[in-house]
Amino acid sequence: MKLKIIISSIPALFMFFGIAWADTVKVGFNVPLTGFAAADGESALNGAKLAVNQANANGGINGKQIELVIYDDQASPKEAVPIANRLIEKDGVKVAVSGSYSGSTRAAAGVFQAAGIPYISAYAIHPGITRAGKYIFRTSFMGEVQGAAGALLIGQTMQIKRVVVITLKNDFGKSLAAGFKAEAANFGIEIINEYEYSIPDRQFGPIVAKVRADKPDAIYASGYFFTAGPLVNQLRSGGVTVPVIGQEGYDSEQFIKIAGAASEGVIITTSLDRDSNSPETRSFITEYEKLTGNKVDMVAASGHTALNVVIAALRIAGTSNPKAIRNAIAQTQLNAATGHISFNTLGEVRKNVQVQIVRNGEWHYHSEIRDQILLAPPES
Amino acid sequence: MLYLELFLQGLLQGSIYALVAVGLTLVYGLLRILHVAHAGLYTLGGYFGVLVYNSSGSLMLSGIVATFGVGILGVIIYRLCYEAILDQPPFVPLIASIGLFIAMEELYRILFGSYGVSYTNPPLQQMLPLGGLYLREGEWVTILVSIILIGGLAWLSSRTRLGLAWRATVTDPQMAESFGIDPIRVRYFNFFIGSALAGTAGMIVGILNNLVEPTMGSVPSYKALAIIVLGGLGSVRGTLVAALALGVVESFGTIYLGNVLNRDAIAFVFLILVLMVRPQGMFRGV
Repeated sequence: MKLKIIISSIPALFMFFGIAWADTVKVGFNVPLTGFAAADGESALNGAKLAVNQANANGGINGKQIELVIYDDQASPKEAVPIANRLIEKDGVKVAVSGSYSGSTRAAAGVFQAAGIPYISAYAIHPGITRAGKYIFRTSFMGEVQGAAGALLIGQTMQIKRVVVITLKNDFGKSLAAGFKAEAANFGIEIINEYEYSIPDRQFGPIVAKVRADKPDAIYASGYFFTAGPLVNQLRSGGVTVPVIGQEGYDSEQFIKIAGAASEGVIITTSLDRDSNSPETRSFITEYEKLTGNKVDMVAASGHTALNVVIAALRIAGTSNPKAIRNAIAQTQLNAATGHISFNTLGEVRKNVQVQIVRNGEWHYHSEIRDQILLAPPES
Repeated sequence: MLYLELFLQGLLQGSIYALVAVGLTLVYGLLRILHVAHAGLYTLGGYFGVLVYNSSGSLMLSGIVATFGVGILGVIIYRLCYEAILDQPPFVPLIASIGLFIAMEELYRILFGSYGVSYTNPPLQQMLPLGGLYLREGEWVTILVSIILIGGLAWLSSRTRLGLAWRATVTDPQMAESFGIDPIRVRYFNFFIGSALAGTAGMIVGILNNLVEPTMGSVPSYKALAIIVLGGLGSVRGTLVAALALGVVESFGTIYLGNVLNRDAIAFVFLILVLMVRPQGMFRGV
């Protein structure tokens, strides 16, 4: 009798697992897990995983569990294209998210658009990404928008007029600088010099020596935590004491670790307000630290936000029709860890810019930029 | 004054390049191997430095571990990786070396994390203006250490029996062997010295940047190759001059050409210009 039950339950068991396997909702995720961008990749992936875990604990998508299909793209366009094809054709995903940099995201966006699969850029900022077409969205600021916010912060909020610009020479730094320079004059800012560096640079001795001679009243410097940390450290120990204004690339605990005491007083524009009272942000901050043991950063918050936009759209549209999912994403009205998310016709996010400052070795609230005209992303 | 500072910053960068490139030129001079994985040892020096310092608080101890530990690992790499393929055509060790370098970078990422490691209490960060020149303590130390190490190397190779045996093996390995010099020991010694210098450079850069990352060696991996070509392949003196010259060119280039060319492009334009005039490099190599 016992044996009979076991034998008769075997097909049921198979069916159960078979259904369980077929019944997950797959979400594609390309992210740099090796190579130079692996640190940001790790944060983005953890943020995305947290969003998936939270949604699955709350019943998934209409009872189905969400499965993140993850590929390492090394932040390289030539890796991203085959990954996009694989996600679409082999894994059969109906929606995907980029946890990667602009180069790979832009390359993959074309593939997803051609296949009619919705694709969200979590934190890649190149203006060309959403212009790939109607199926491509972005939950972070375009570089130009954030650069303009930097100009408002320096010229209007801080009332500083003589500025040196230090630009990271890639799409990230270049589009930030373009946005900053386009608005600088409107806020009475005079750019007395601009210097550029490339992403492997960690030694800024010559630039520091020149900036000391330039005697600016503030420095607007783009970069990631691994370039900005050494830069700010070297500026301060090189005797340059004027305010340094950065952006979301700095937004990590690692920046404070690298720059040490020199990080004190550094101000950035970003998407994440660590002192926010919103329940979404608060729960993200606690849960992320519980999951990873690390403090939150902008990239993790962006990965978390992008996945939550996808999850919300899947709950509305069901899980099989990419066009319905795309339309649901376009209609998004969601409170996420990085603020209230909605999209314009180009698929660009509309939200306020957060300004954070380092105080006592931690990121804290400085102010918020709410100028919706200045912050309006292009519609086409 | 600005020009003098830029010049000094260039020498500073150049002396770091020199420490890395000398090891590469030594290996090439002796074995005709382009040892790309050398840059992986440089990164390891950075990790040894920061990890030992963070746990012991002793700069001396971390310097010793970074220098000697990396030196010994260089010998082990030679023994396990290159020795078996020395009789193969040169591209075989080159490919092995590139593979080893990539594997090292990913191994560091797995072992020490992708975010990189910083000094919890960074040493040598204070400004120490001497004669109106603004350099940090760490930067003065860099210049001093480079002079001592490279001076010591020059003394070793020109004034000691060991150095004589070394140079004899480079010039004519078979003749040297017939005079009773053990070529295997010379190779071990060669790898030890070269790797130890790279390890020291890695530790210094880790302190100056207060950041040691898995991919820290990616720029030195190809720039050191450019430097040894620039100096005349296999010439130690040429390598030193080329490293310093490149540092200075980059320092001025960053400021005055930075909006047109990035640092690496400036370096390679300089390399091409020199090679157009002197195809054999600045100095005649081996």
